[in-house]
Amino acid sequence: MISPLLHDDPHTVGPFRILARLGGGGMGTVYLGRSAAGRTVAVKTLHTRLAGDTTLRTRFRLETDAARVMGAVHGAAVVDADPQAPTPWLATEYVLGPPLDTAVEAGGPLPEPAVRALGAALAAGLEQLHRSEVVHRDLKPSNILVTAQGPRIIDFGIARAFGDEHLTNVGSAVGTPAFMSPEQAAGLEHAAAGDVFALAGVLIFAATGTGPFGGGAPTDLLYRVRFGEPDLGRVPESLRELLARCLAKDPAHRPSTGELHGALGGAAAAPGDRGGFAVLLPDAVLREIARRSDEVWREPPPRLAPPVPTEAPRADAAPAAGVSRRRLLAVAGGALLGGGVLGGAGWALFSGPSDNGGGGTKKDAVDRPKPPSALWSAGLWCPESGGEVMPVGRNLAMRAGIVLCGINAESGQSTWQANIADVWRSATDGTRLYALRDYQEDAAALAVCEVSQTDGQLGKPLAELAAFTGKEQYNQLLCVAGGTAYLVARAASGGRWYLVAADLGTGKERWRSPVDAPQSKGFPAALYGGVVGSRVVLCAYPASDTKFLRLSAYDKGSGKQAWAVSETFAGAPPTRLVADEHNLYLAADTLTARRLSDGGLEWLFGNGRDGEGSGGDQRRYGAPTLQDGVVYSVREDQGLLAVDALSGTLNWQEQGLSGRKSKRDVAPAVGKRYAYCVDDKGVRAVDLKSRKAVWTYASEPVVLTADAQGGRLYVRQEKRTLALPLA
Amino acid sequence: MERLRQDDPARIGDLVTLARLDADGSRGVPERRYLARSADGAHTVLACLPPPGGDPARWAAEAQQAARLTQPGFWPVGGLGGTPAFPWWAAPYRPVLPLPAVLAAHGGPLPEPVVRMLGGTLAEALASAHVLGIVHGGVCPAGVLLTVRGPLLSCFGATRANPVVGASATGESVLETGCLAPELAAGGAAVDRAGDVYALGAVLAYAATGHTVPERQEIPAGLRDVITACRSRDPQGRPEPARVLAELVPGAAYGALTGAAEPVSLPGRVVEALSRQSAEVLAAALPTQGS
Repeated sequence: MISPLLHDDPHTVGPFRILARLGGGGMGTVYLGRSAAGRTVAVKTLHTRLAGDTTLRTRFRLETDAARVMGAVHGAAVVDADPQAPTPWLATEYVLGPPLDTAVEAGGPLPEPAVRALGAALAAGLEQLHRSEVVHRDLKPSNILVTAQGPRIIDFGIARAFGDEHLTNVGSAVGTPAFMSPEQAAGLEHAAAGDVFALAGVLIFAATGTGPFGGGAPTDLLYRVRFGEPDLGRVPESLRELLARCLAKDPAHRPSTGELHGALGGAAAAPGDRGGFAVLLPDAVLREIARRSDEVWREPPPRLAPPVPTEAPRADAAPAAGVSRRRLLAVAGGALLGGGVLGGAGWALFSGPSDNGGGGTKKDAVDRPKPPSALWSAGLWCPESGGEVMPVGRNLAMRAGIVLCGINAESGQSTWQANIADVWRSATDGTRLYALRDYQEDAAALAVCEVSQTDGQLGKPLAELAAFTGKEQYNQLLCVAGGTAYLVARAASGGRWYLVAADLGTGKERWRSPVDAPQSKGFPAALYGGVVGSRVVLCAYPASDTKFLRLSAYDKGSGKQAWAVSETFAGAPPTRLVADEHNLYLAADTLTARRLSDGGLEWLFGNGRDGEGSGGDQRRYGAPTLQDGVVYSVREDQGLLAVDALSGTLNWQEQGLSGRKSKRDVAPAVGKRYAYCVDDKGVRAVDLKSRKAVWTYASEPVVLTADAQGGRLYVRQEKRTLALPLA
Repeated sequence: MERLRQDDPARIGDLVTLARLDADGSRGVPERRYLARSADGAHTVLACLPPPGGDPARWAAEAQQAARLTQPGFWPVGGLGGTPAFPWWAAPYRPVLPLPAVLAAHGGPLPEPVVRMLGGTLAEALASAHVLGIVHGGVCPAGVLLTVRGPLLSCFGATRANPVVGASATGESVLETGCLAPELAAGGAAVDRAGDVYALGAVLAYAATGHTVPERQEIPAGLRDVITACRSRDPQGRPEPARVLAELVPGAAYGALTGAAEPVSLPGRVVEALSRQSAEVLAAALPTQGS
C-alpha cells in the first residue's frame, strides 16, 4: 500500500519522479513513480550497497527478464528497466489489486468458481513462463495480485533459468516453506513441476484460507512438505483429486501446467467478457480492488523528515484538547486493521491536529509520524518484578503495588482488587485468573482457586492437594495451561519441594517431580515456569551471588525430567519464558537458543561479534521477545536486532540510532508495523520495514506488554501505566 | 477510457487531452468531459467544456457557482479557466464512471441494493443542498458520476444553462428529456427543489430499468412507490429528498452515505470498469512532441 517516502529515499530513479513508497525488503525498495509523460509505475530498486554483489545483480537482471516473459496479461507489464545502473531498477505497471493473502484475509476463502478461474489463469501464466524456460520458484499468495481482470504473478526475486545452478546454494531454503515443493524443501532442483506443486498450495489456500500443510514453525513445515500428507479436507470435492495429484511428492507424477489449465476449465473457467473474472470475487475483495484503484490517485503523502525524534509529549499528558475519545478510539481501531491499512491511515492521523506535544511548530516535526496519544493513563504502581500486563478475556489484570488489580481495557479504570501480595501466587490462562489460597488461612492443604473478575475474591478451590502444605508463603503458581495448573510446592510431610501438575477439572494431582527448595531468602523457587509444546520449562531463581541460572524441562504428560542445564546470565534475570516449539531463547552476553528436546545449544548469536567479548559478566543483549519466528533483542547502544529464531542468523539491525542508552532489561514489544523498545528517552518505535526509529514516547518504562488482540501496547512505569495503540 | 475523436480539442488551456469520459454517441450529456493532463505530466484531471451549441456564458456562470460550493455529494468543480468564448473547468482525476457507463459495464439495470445505495446517496446530497436553498438543477443519468466511494452529482445547473424555450422542446435538447419535470418541459418555469426530486426519480428509474421513463410494471416492486412518487406530475406530490433517503436506506445515519470513507459495494463488472479506467489512465502517456 502507499506510504510516505523516507527522508533518504531518492527523488528520482531513472526517468521517474518518485512519489511514494509501496514496499520494501532486505533487497531493495518498491516505489510509486511517474514519468515526464505522466505515466505512473511501480519502480523496484536493488539497494545500492547490494548492487556490488554480482549474484544479486544477476538475479535482478533475471527477474527483469522473467517479468518481460510474463508480460502484461499474467504479470505486470515491464515499462522500462536498467539492471546495469549503480542502483539497478525495474519499472512495471502499477497493478491494481490486493495480494491473494490480503484478499483471502479480507473476504474469506474464495468460492469454487473463483478458485477455478484463478487457477486456470495462474496455470496459463506459469505455462507461458515455463515455455521460456524460466521457473518461478517462489509462487505464494503474497506474490499473486488479484485484479478485477484476473490474477497477476509478480516478484520473480528468485526466478531463474533452467539449470542456472550456481545461483542457489543447495539447501539454502530461499522459498517460503508453506508453498515450497518437497524437492525445494530438500534442497534439490525445483523445476517446472515444482511450480505446479506450489500452485496447488496457492489454490488450496485460496479455497480454505490455509496452505495444504498448515502453518507453524518453518522446520515443521519443511518436514510436512517433504513427508506429510496434505490436508485437502476443506477443499471443494470436485477439486480435491486434481489438487492432490499436483501435490504428489514425485515431480513426475504431477500434471503439467497445460493439463492443469484444461482441468480447471481453461479459458471458460470465468465468463468470457471483460468483467467475467470480477463477478466471481467476494464483495470485500472487490472493495479492496476499488480502494487501490482510487487511492493511487490521491495526493501522495509528504516525505518524512529524518528520524531524530525530539519533543515527545510528556508521558502522562492527558489526551490533547479537542481530540475526542471517539477519535482516539478510532486510532486504536485503525491499528487493529493491521499494517496495510495503518500504512495509509497512520501518517494521516498522526500528523493531524492532535499534535500538541509542545514545540510542534518546527517544520520537520510536521512531516514526521508523531508518537500516538495515550488511550489512557492510570496511576498504577508497578512492582519491581512481575509487572507484566495480563490480558484476561477482554480485560486486564496487573499488579499495582501489593495488590492484583482488574483493569478495564477501554478506560484504564480499576474494576476490582485482589489481596494477593506475592506475585508468584497468581497466574492466568488468558481467559481466567487463578491464585493459590492464602497461606495465612486455617486450611492445611494447598489449593488453587479462581479469582473472581467482579470482586477479586477467591472462589471455591478447583484443586485441593492435601499432600502439600497450604501454609507455605513460597508455594508458587507457575502457570495454567490446558486446564492444568503447574505449581512449585512444599510437601506436607518431609519438607521436600516438588514441581506439581494439578488437573483443575478433576481437582486431582496428575504428577510431581522433585525440585530444589528456594535458594534465596525472600524469593520463591522459580523465576518462571511455563508450558511449551510437550515440555514444562522451569527456570530456578538464582542463589544470591551467583551468575548461574538453572534451567530444567519436564515431560508435560508424565512429569519426568527431560534435561537440566546451568546457564550464565548478566543483568536482571529473565522473568518470563521466551520459547517456541523448538527452542528456548535467552539473552545476556550472547543470544542463545536451547533445544527444548534435549537442552542442547541450538545456536549462539553474537559471540565475538564486533570483536568484543565481556567474558560473560556483562549484559550485551537485552531481554528477548519472540514474534513470528524472529527473536528481537536490544544490543547495547546499537539498538534493535532481529535474529531468525530457527537459524540464529541476523535478519536485520536497527539503522541510524545514536545517542540513546538502551534499557536492556526491558524486553521489546512487537506489533505489525513497529517494534517498541525502551531507552533513556522513553519508548522508541522502530519501523519493521525501514528498520529505523520513527518516534519516541517520552516515558520511563519498566515493562512493555503488547496485546495484539486488543491492539494495545501497555507501558508500565514505576508510578503510571499507559495504553498506546499498538501498530 | 474512451478514445478522442477528431473534433475533440487536443489541448484545453495548458492541459493536454488524453481521452473522453463519455462513450462516443452518448446522449443526454450536458457537458463535454475529458480526461486531461498537465504538460509536465504531474497532474491528471477531469476537464469539462460547455456542450456543443450551448451558451458558454450561461454554462460558465453555473460552473462558477458550482466551484464556490462545497456540498457533500456534489462533484467538486476545481478551478475555472479559459475565455468567455471557450470556458472550462478542471478538477483532480479519480476513477469515475457516468451512470450510463455503469449500466453499460454491468450489462443492464443495476441490482436493487445498488440502486438503493446510489439513490440514497444522491437524495442525501440533494437534502443537504436544499436545506441551504441550493437547487442542483442538473440531475440526470450522465450527471451522476460513480466513484468507488459512491456517486457524486455533476452537471450543476444544466437546466438553467440550457433552458427549454417554449413548449416545443425537440430531441435537440442536450438534456435527457425524461429528467425534466413536466412544469419545466412546458418551458417558462425555473427549476426548483421539486424539479430536482423529479429528476432524482428519473435517475433512479434509469438505474433500475435502463431508461428514465419506464412503465410502472418495469420498476422492481420494492422501488416502485418511491420512484413513482418522485416522478409525480404534481410538484406538491413529490417527497422531500430526506424522505426519499429514508425510503431507500431505512435507518441510514444522516451524512453517512455522501461522507463514505470506504469503498461501497458495487457489482463485479462495475468495479472492473472503474479499475480498468484507473489502470488505463495510470498507463497513459502524454503524446510525444510533434506527433
